[in-house]
Amino acid sequence: MPPAPDLAGLVEPDRVHKSVYTNPGIFELEMQRIFGRAWVYVGHESQVKAAGDYHQALIGRESVFIVRAPDGAVHVLFNRCPHKGTKLVAFPDGNAGKFLRCPFHGWNFRCDGGLHSVPARAGYDGTRFDESDPQFSIRRVPRQASYRGFVFASLADDGPDLESFLGGIRTSIDNFCDRAPEGEVEVAGGVFRVWQHSNWKIFFENLNDTSHPMVTHESSVNAARARYQALPPGSKMPFKLHIIEGNGEPYEFWDKLEMVGFDGGHSYMGAIFQPPTDPVSLAHIETLKAAYGAARTQEILEIQRHNSIIYPSCSPHTSFQQLRVIRPVAVDRTMVEIYTFRLKGAPPEVFQRAVTYANVVNAPSSNVMPDDIEVYARAQEGLTTDGGDWVSLHRDAGRDRAVPGGFIGNGLSELPMRNQFRAWAAYMAGEA
Amino acid sequence: MSALLADVSAFLFHEARLLDARRWDDWLGLFTADGMYWVPLTHEQQDPLNHVSLFYEDALLREVRARRLEEKRAWSQQPVTQAARIVGNILVLAGQADEVVVGSTFHLLEWRRSEHRMLGGQYTHTLRRGGDGWRIALKRIDLINREGVQDSLETFL
Repeated sequence: MPPAPDLAGLVEPDRVHKSVYTNPGIFELEMQRIFGRAWVYVGHESQVKAAGDYHQALIGRESVFIVRAPDGAVHVLFNRCPHKGTKLVAFPDGNAGKFLRCPFHGWNFRCDGGLHSVPARAGYDGTRFDESDPQFSIRRVPRQASYRGFVFASLADDGPDLESFLGGIRTSIDNFCDRAPEGEVEVAGGVFRVWQHSNWKIFFENLNDTSHPMVTHESSVNAARARYQALPPGSKMPFKLHIIEGNGEPYEFWDKLEMVGFDGGHSYMGAIFQPPTDPVSLAHIETLKAAYGAARTQEILEIQRHNSIIYPSCSPHTSFQQLRVIRPVAVDRTMVEIYTFRLKGAPPEVFQRAVTYANVVNAPSSNVMPDDIEVYARAQEGLTTDGGDWVSLHRDAGRDRAVPGGFIGNGLSELPMRNQFRAWAAYMAGEA
Repeated sequence: MSALLADVSAFLFHEARLLDARRWDDWLGLFTADGMYWVPLTHEQQDPLNHVSLFYEDALLREVRARRLEEKRAWSQQPVTQAARIVGNILVLAGQADEVVVGSTFHLLEWRRSEHRMLGGQYTHTLRRGGDGWRIALKRIDLINREGVQDSLETFL
């Protein structure tokens, strides 16, 4: 076992040492000190609608699942039979039936994890086996909590409650749900699962990185523009081209956005609200007005955000009803899940637009995402060389404006990256 | 082998050669004006509108993709994907003279950067007879690993 890495001096206010992305020992410590402490997103209540429904997730490297009990409660359990250690559920999503039954020796558990029965019980008579002893039940993840249907869990017995942990980024989950006329969202339409051959933090940093789109995505921007120019003069740009071409906005456009970082590494990229004119948005707005009235509808829509970051596990995109879930697998390997959500009570075309957005922009097979995945992998490879020791976070450094609970900066600022490393350093020092 | 089967087989082999050679413009020309290229994400997926797909591309999106693949700064095509595929087990599943549904199995080898990978699955072509031969009204591709964790898929399958 190599000695634990020295963490002192790896994070400075405007740069970080490359080893935070490449050192397997640091990755091990992240599993303990970040993913062993933080509230990590494990799923949405709509993924386990019926009794027995389960959904698998990872907290760090721990295999867990959420499961709906017959009384309606949702439980977050380790995916391990207490008998011989066998994983209990196999599919990403499924239904366990009335009891969770181990495929190895047939121990049966209730959906709250409690042991229900073992075959040939008499063999345990007079032994130290005891149904009421928790060591013979499925272990529960120490803490779990829901916020508007989004289920988080923590491997730590103590720490801040979920709402305190979320802090200011709660407003992104609120706005996500408020955009539904019924005030609720549900997972629908399948999930993309994607490999990234890079450290998990590279993706998190990219989510609010506004100086990459016009460079990384030049190829798809050019292709979409060329296709648009081939349309009859005066044509409105089709949605499918617009969402690709948007990455080509000039630096001045991005710099006008607002970067807002909160304690805990969370942040969002605020967009400028422009009243929509397309029929899908207009029909959506009508359903919102009917539910909330015109004034409240305006308040909801004026909160326009691109990616929000809920550090260290997920990123909602509120206006296109998407949640990306980030699962570190190894120091240089990350699995990302991309979920689409239905706004309950909104017209079906709103959901179909979210599906199109996910297909065209975020799929591993889109024209956009492969260039991201390529540059992340090249960054990971470059960081392992001896060509330098530091990664720069200097853009607009020293100009973050402090506000209660966080910082605000201009759209091109690397504020979100500095904000993530502020949280990272606190977690790794055992202060979070 | 029936004349029809021989005819559609020749069409599929021709299509495979165009794709292997990255002759995108010629390949785009094989589709009907409203033809669709669809790679579902799940087994038995029937709905491309209310469920995400790996690809669900009309002429507009196919043309964008074909152009992007040849862009100088398409970083993930440095170097470009090299491909070779075998199409076999071809059967006419339905239809006759002017519109047929053709099932086949494909084995696709791809190489780029340091990776040599294998993809495979079923093609289902809905073909219509146009002025000078068959045109693709729908090409559905069911990858055997479609429900797995994916690496990037960039070129047409």
